[in-house]
Amino acid sequence: MKTTISLIAVLVGSLSAPLSHAADDHYGDFPVTVKGYSGDRTDSTAYTGQVARHLLHNSLKKLAARGGGEPDEELEARMMAYYAGEDDGREILDPTTQGGFVIAQSRIDEISAGNNLSGKAYGGAVTGWPGAMTGAEVLEFMIGKAAAADQGFDVLTGYDYPQLISKFLMGAVFYNQAVDNYLDERLAPDVKPNDKPYSEGAPYTGKEHVWDEAFGYFGAPAHALSLTPEQAYGIAKADEAFMDAADYDSDGEVDLYREMTYAHAYYAADADKSGETDYLHTIIQAFLDGRRLITSAEGEALTDEQLAALQSHADTIKSNWEKVIAEAAFKYAGSVYKDLNKLNIIVESDGDPREAFRDYAKHWGELKGFTLALQTGGKDLGATAVELNRLIGYGPVLLGGGKGGQVAGIDADGNYTMGDAVTMGDYAVNMIKVQRLLADSFDLKALKNDATAELHDVMESLNESQSAETD
Amino acid sequence: MLEQAAGSYFDALTAAFVDPGKRLFLGYLGSALVIALVWLTWFKGRSLAQACGEVFNRESWWSRSARADYRVMALNSAIMLVLSPRLLSQLGVSIFVFEWMHGAFQGRPGPPPAHFDWVVMMAFTLCLFVLDDFSRYVVHRLLHRVPFLWSFHKVHHTATSLNPLTVYRTHPVEGVLFVLRSAVVHGSCTAVFVFFFANQVSLATVLGAAVFNFAFNALGANLRHSHVALGFWRPVERVFISPAQHQVHHSLARRHVDRNFGAALAIWDVAFRTHCHSEADETLRFGVKGEPPDRVHTLAALYWRPFTEGGRAVWRSGARFLRAGATRPRVQSPGAR
Repeated sequence: MKTTISLIAVLVGSLSAPLSHAADDHYGDFPVTVKGYSGDRTDSTAYTGQVARHLLHNSLKKLAARGGGEPDEELEARMMAYYAGEDDGREILDPTTQGGFVIAQSRIDEISAGNNLSGKAYGGAVTGWPGAMTGAEVLEFMIGKAAAADQGFDVLTGYDYPQLISKFLMGAVFYNQAVDNYLDERLAPDVKPNDKPYSEGAPYTGKEHVWDEAFGYFGAPAHALSLTPEQAYGIAKADEAFMDAADYDSDGEVDLYREMTYAHAYYAADADKSGETDYLHTIIQAFLDGRRLITSAEGEALTDEQLAALQSHADTIKSNWEKVIAEAAFKYAGSVYKDLNKLNIIVESDGDPREAFRDYAKHWGELKGFTLALQTGGKDLGATAVELNRLIGYGPVLLGGGKGGQVAGIDADGNYTMGDAVTMGDYAVNMIKVQRLLADSFDLKALKNDATAELHDVMESLNESQSAETD
Repeated sequence: MLEQAAGSYFDALTAAFVDPGKRLFLGYLGSALVIALVWLTWFKGRSLAQACGEVFNRESWWSRSARADYRVMALNSAIMLVLSPRLLSQLGVSIFVFEWMHGAFQGRPGPPPAHFDWVVMMAFTLCLFVLDDFSRYVVHRLLHRVPFLWSFHKVHHTATSLNPLTVYRTHPVEGVLFVLRSAVVHGSCTAVFVFFFANQVSLATVLGAAVFNFAFNALGANLRHSHVALGFWRPVERVFISPAQHQVHHSLARRHVDRNFGAALAIWDVAFRTHCHSEADETLRFGVKGEPPDRVHTLAALYWRPFTEGGRAVWRSGARFLRAGATRPRVQSPGAR
């Protein structure tokens, strides 16, 4: 009898544990604490505008790859509608339903209306891109070029605009807004205080919404803490194998607001798949802890102690988010290194380099976009940024390098000017240096596509101290 | 902090006996003991008791010289724990050479087919062993021939009795030199192989130790510093250094001075005319001529005196250089009248 009762207790416990665990891990369903709220909302969580911007970004990237190789005003206007427009009715071009991975929404205004990307883009100078432009201007410039490129690719410069736009935009809008605005100046006690609604009649306090908006920009599903890195990654790919993992409320559809992975959350999961890092869960846990802390104030102004604790959570988020971007840049520097070696072998054997060059341009665009993104966090990276920009240059070194082998600037008409470049062999060395610089400056651990991984592996098998034995 | 440092120190000290990558690994000490007993009983006609008495004699293991060896090993473990992370690393050298090769060759070649994996592995392991051994010969010879370096290497040679732990009786300056040597040789060799053969490069190992080093250590390397004069057949001694040949290197006899600098291979000594065979049943005395045995085992003699002697050696060399310059006939510059 005693055994039977124990068995039942164990069974009940094991069944109920995942449910309560899941609820604890979920970013959402935070009660309304704002004083004087008269509406009927019971959940104060809100980051729809941020998810709408993720969808604008995803869709813009799709459009950037649709050029036919000639200037296309209609395409450019369509891209600008996603970048700078605010109209209703904009279709979600990505993600869309793929087989058993069923998406609930098809228009951006089903999530949130009236949002754009340009209004939130980094306003500082982008020194790693030619033309002395602000972040917002660089993005608009790239959109113009993408509209005239062949499926987003410009063979004369080696630019892959969908990648450049996407990776830079993630930094210039999402990362910049979150770490340099919401988790920075808006955490000050007198900015968006917790004892007042964020805006008149809002069901959330100033600090609650500030925190939610930062969370939204990261791009993680609300239940990210209960997902493995592989699941969070697979959801972003709209892979039907991960439908069940995405569909948290089991309604048979993926809600793009709460159940999808976007942007840097996807890259955090990608790094975490290495098993060496835990960026996704570290960041989400800090967001959850911070939000619970704000909620626990029950609509009162945060004390100095609470603000300090909140700042500590913000610092965890900011430093790990920065690492996520740096890890992605590291990975693509390794890809570019491999591409350069592959191209060298093809050229040496008089093969056709077109396919390999296309891969090289794609990976270079990702590398460049991520390194530019790193510089939009409002933090002065000092010599690290200068060195990264110099090693990578304004453009990929074209086949053979040498005279006219790399973009050097932009003329008054917005055309690229070409300058002298290092050889492809030397540029491969630059990629190794980029990886070392990133790993050292940001204390990286995932280190995907490490160009010197083989050296590390062999070195580990050598016993360095043995050599101290003399005769 | 102190606890952590003490833990690291203890780990380093115990690693010397439990890591098969180290000469003093208990397994190698055991195999050396077996080899010594077999040698003394089968080839030298000693009884087992006599053989044991020779191996475990008090002079080898508890003389003033031997006790100094233990003190040096204990102190050096702490010193190298602090110094090693601050020295040029193998990885640093390998990355430098690896990068340089990209510029020199303008791109990396494609790796050979996968079925060459074992060939690459054996070639790398052998190449590393041979280069490592040659660099040991060169550095060792320099330690004897350059007066400044000899001041430091002398610490090893002032041992008047030998036991396997004498291998660690070295001045830290020499320890640093050997770490740098290893960084340059291992780093460069690895970089060259990885540049050409990428992930096909691996080390052939036994118990985690490079296979050739394992063989060298397992086959009685610890008898090099012992009083068991195990010599090889003469043709073999022209290829591999026997323990007795290394004891010749430590000998005070005039004919043995600056002989047998090699570590595992004797070919370098043969090639550069520093080779000397071992002699059967020869009784050798160890130490450094002119160094009173009662004064060479103090901590001051082992750690401080090399600096003062080294300084004097540099001063003497400098003075000689200046004197040579002063007596050289002056050459008039082409424009002078």
